[in-house]
Amino acid sequence: MKSVRSVRFVIIIGSLLMIVVAGGCGLVSGGSSQGVVFVDGMGREVTIDSDVERIVSLAPSSTEILFAIEAGELVVGRDDISDYPTDAVDVTSIGSTYGDLNMEAIVALEPDLVVAAMINSPEHVEAIEQLGIPVFVLPNPMTFPDLYDIIELAGELVSHESQAQALAQELEGRVDAILTNLEGVESVSVYYEVDGMDPTAPWTIGTGTFQDVLITLAGGENVAADLEGYVTLSLEELVARDPQVMVFSQGPWVTTTVDSVAERAGWGEISAVANGEIYGIDANWIDRPGPRLVDALEAMAEILHPERFE
Amino acid sequence: MHNTATPPEARAESKRKQVSPWIWTGMALFCALLFSVAVGPIRIPPLTVVRMLAERLAWMKIEADWPATFATILFEIRLPQTVLVALTGMALGGSGAAYQGLFRNPLADPYIIGVASGAGLGAVMAMTLHWPATYLGMALIPAAAFIGALVTVAVVYWLARVGRTTPITTLILAGVAVSAFASALTSLLMLLSTEQMHRAIAWLLGGFALGGWEPVLAALPYFVIGLAMLAVLSRPLNVLQFGDEQAMQLGLDVERYKLVIVAAASLVAAAAVSFSGIIGFVGLIVPHMARLMWGPDYRRLIPMATLTGGVVLLLADVVARTILAPRELPVGIITAVAGAPFFLYLLRRAKQQRYW
Amino acid sequence: MELRFDNVSLGYERSVILRDLTLSVHSGEIMGVVGPNGVGKSTLIRGASGVLSPRSGRVFVDRQDLRRLSLRRRAQIIAVVPQAVQLPEAFLAEDVVLMGRTAHLGWLGQESESDRHIARTVMEQTETLGFAGRQVGELSGGEQQRVLIARALTQEPDVLLLDEPTAHLDLKHQDEVLRLIRSLAKENELAVILTLHDLNLVARYTDRVALLSDGMIRKIGDAREVLTPEELAAAYGITIHVTDHPIHGTPLVLS
Repeated sequence: MKSVRSVRFVIIIGSLLMIVVAGGCGLVSGGSSQGVVFVDGMGREVTIDSDVERIVSLAPSSTEILFAIEAGELVVGRDDISDYPTDAVDVTSIGSTYGDLNMEAIVALEPDLVVAAMINSPEHVEAIEQLGIPVFVLPNPMTFPDLYDIIELAGELVSHESQAQALAQELEGRVDAILTNLEGVESVSVYYEVDGMDPTAPWTIGTGTFQDVLITLAGGENVAADLEGYVTLSLEELVARDPQVMVFSQGPWVTTTVDSVAERAGWGEISAVANGEIYGIDANWIDRPGPRLVDALEAMAEILHPERFE
Repeated sequence: MHNTATPPEARAESKRKQVSPWIWTGMALFCALLFSVAVGPIRIPPLTVVRMLAERLAWMKIEADWPATFATILFEIRLPQTVLVALTGMALGGSGAAYQGLFRNPLADPYIIGVASGAGLGAVMAMTLHWPATYLGMALIPAAAFIGALVTVAVVYWLARVGRTTPITTLILAGVAVSAFASALTSLLMLLSTEQMHRAIAWLLGGFALGGWEPVLAALPYFVIGLAMLAVLSRPLNVLQFGDEQAMQLGLDVERYKLVIVAAASLVAAAAVSFSGIIGFVGLIVPHMARLMWGPDYRRLIPMATLTGGVVLLLADVVARTILAPRELPVGIITAVAGAPFFLYLLRRAKQQRYW
Repeated sequence: MELRFDNVSLGYERSVILRDLTLSVHSGEIMGVVGPNGVGKSTLIRGASGVLSPRSGRVFVDRQDLRRLSLRRRAQIIAVVPQAVQLPEAFLAEDVVLMGRTAHLGWLGQESESDRHIARTVMEQTETLGFAGRQVGELSGGEQQRVLIARALTQEPDVLLLDEPTAHLDLKHQDEVLRLIRSLAKENELAVILTLHDLNLVARYTDRVALLSDGMIRKIGDAREVLTPEELAAAYGITIHVTDHPIHGTPLVLS
């Protein structure tokens, strides 16, 4: 009876799978129930044990923060892109959040806590949680006070409160110094370029991004301030807005250079290009929501108002 | 597969094609499962793998002399992943065979009437509409993909209706048109929401990082029900090979069975795509492989294509995970790269024998 | 048991192909349908099988209106033998024959021992048992046609409809197939409608003949009555001579 056999085969396969599934279920329970509850950047409530000894970092910004608050020796695993500080490179890589995260490697490292950032996908976060490992996603700062809070929060997570506080205070000091220096300055119109692969429609940032906040604090006025988030501007629009200074994010993967901008067809009309006011800022300073944002602020301020920083 | 009293000469000849296919493919599937579970970035000795499995399934009392992380890796990471890959491969093989039978077209595959593009649209819509990243939010993407796939197939089927029938040709044409539309919409959404783009691309290339048993358990009922339905639909599929008119004259309610076959095959393919992304070639090639080995009779072809699909995808997945270690390639790339030359080889074999 | 057309007209979309069709065929009787190409012989078969619904008039089988019967029930009474063209070539002959039981299968659609027995018997009758385990694509035209006849017979029908069963066959197989049909009609008491383009075959192998022309039945009756030079000239539009077959005595048509 061929049809009965067909049905039978399906039932057998289904049952086998059910057995396997049943066998594998309910193996690893969730995190511990004691410890402090924190709310992370994705709005999740995470319970953190007080003895965090082994950390895996899933984002370069998290790595930088952890090392900056002197918790670097607790970091046993990091994502592929984490390259700062140089000590971080020696830590075992567990794959890239853009490619494939090596779940098995993460498990094998037996971390007490995984520290992620908003750049990680919710799916990855959930997948790691499923394995019984707590994941905390550091939020993105929108202002410098946010940044100090995040650093102090990181300090609480790994019981490095005093180091975190010290760092926060130091950063605050530097930022205040710059702001004081810039008091009363006349703002300069700035065009910040994220990606110039297509010179007829380059990518820039509007409000709601930290880069925009940075520009304003550094005494600049973002020509794209009427737009939101990551947007493209047509070349015509850019020419119409005529920024006085152009700043682009610079990195090994970016092909834009000061000279290449000058060569772009039609860009000669823009004041910034005509006057050679084109500057690059290390992308890793400005794109990673970590302590080096202050370096970015310093660089931006010096670019826009060199006269205040003689 | 034959009358019990056909003359011995005739039977001997047909027996050449019947070398216990169930045992063959069943064993192949089992071996592929074991193989897949034994391979991974963290090296676990194969013997340990076997012992761990035996202990877990409570067949024997074995001293657990392996580290706890091995158990987590095997049972929480590898095993659910392997089972999902096997189920996906089975779904693609079975539904591919069903579609080829329904359309009487050797180029048909599980995505021909919009399952893939619909699922892609559903998933990207869910991603770009900024669902909250709560646990429920996470499960929403496969669910949205699933609904997207089924809605798309329903739209295609409805569009293809001519009077009281649904001619096969209009079904294909409507499928092509709607798929193109859905893909365009998907691209637009991705462009408008660039932060989600890499997430969307990762999904489209081949599934989620959503590991664990949840997705497997969520998808299992659809796989089991759909594949069971297809197995039972193998007789109508046979009769349909003679064309709608002859099928009707033989007493088959052709319109009803077309609908049921589309429903069952789409259900299974939608589940596969929703949880594993869009994996190409398997649904196209595996039915041809099965046909070359075991003939065109759908009573055997559907189960064989199903099991073979599981084996093939498991093997492709192992290759995807190991060939550029420690990088893991999306399995869809392996099936495409290996699929094309293999298809050409199959074509050469096909010329030498009757198999359709 | 009879199949009856009652003033039936048949067509597709907006065109009417055949009209005023009135004929009846009884159990054990073979009705041949002839006429120029394109006149609608296949259409008539479709109308008789119920696949094509009449635009007007009704088709009755065993005094039941064909339209009132379910597809399944219809297939249990009426079986159609199509031309042996474009058959899926890798299917085994015996599996093709077994598909004739489709209308009799249970809910889950499994074949029972009795289904197989019926198929076996039919294959003996049609002398197809010898190549039952071979692929359909390996068989000759005549063998394929016999397999299709066998398939139709496993439906256990009362009516058998054949659409140009000899169209692609050589002389030897034409004879074979038609002789088989004739003996089956008598043995199984089937009402048979058979469309043919070869007028001489019609003369020899049918009990009555219907001549179609211009969308209607021009003449229906005995072969001698229908296959006359006058009727044939009017229907086919060329001059035709009819004489007596030297051996069989049936009308022999020469153009």
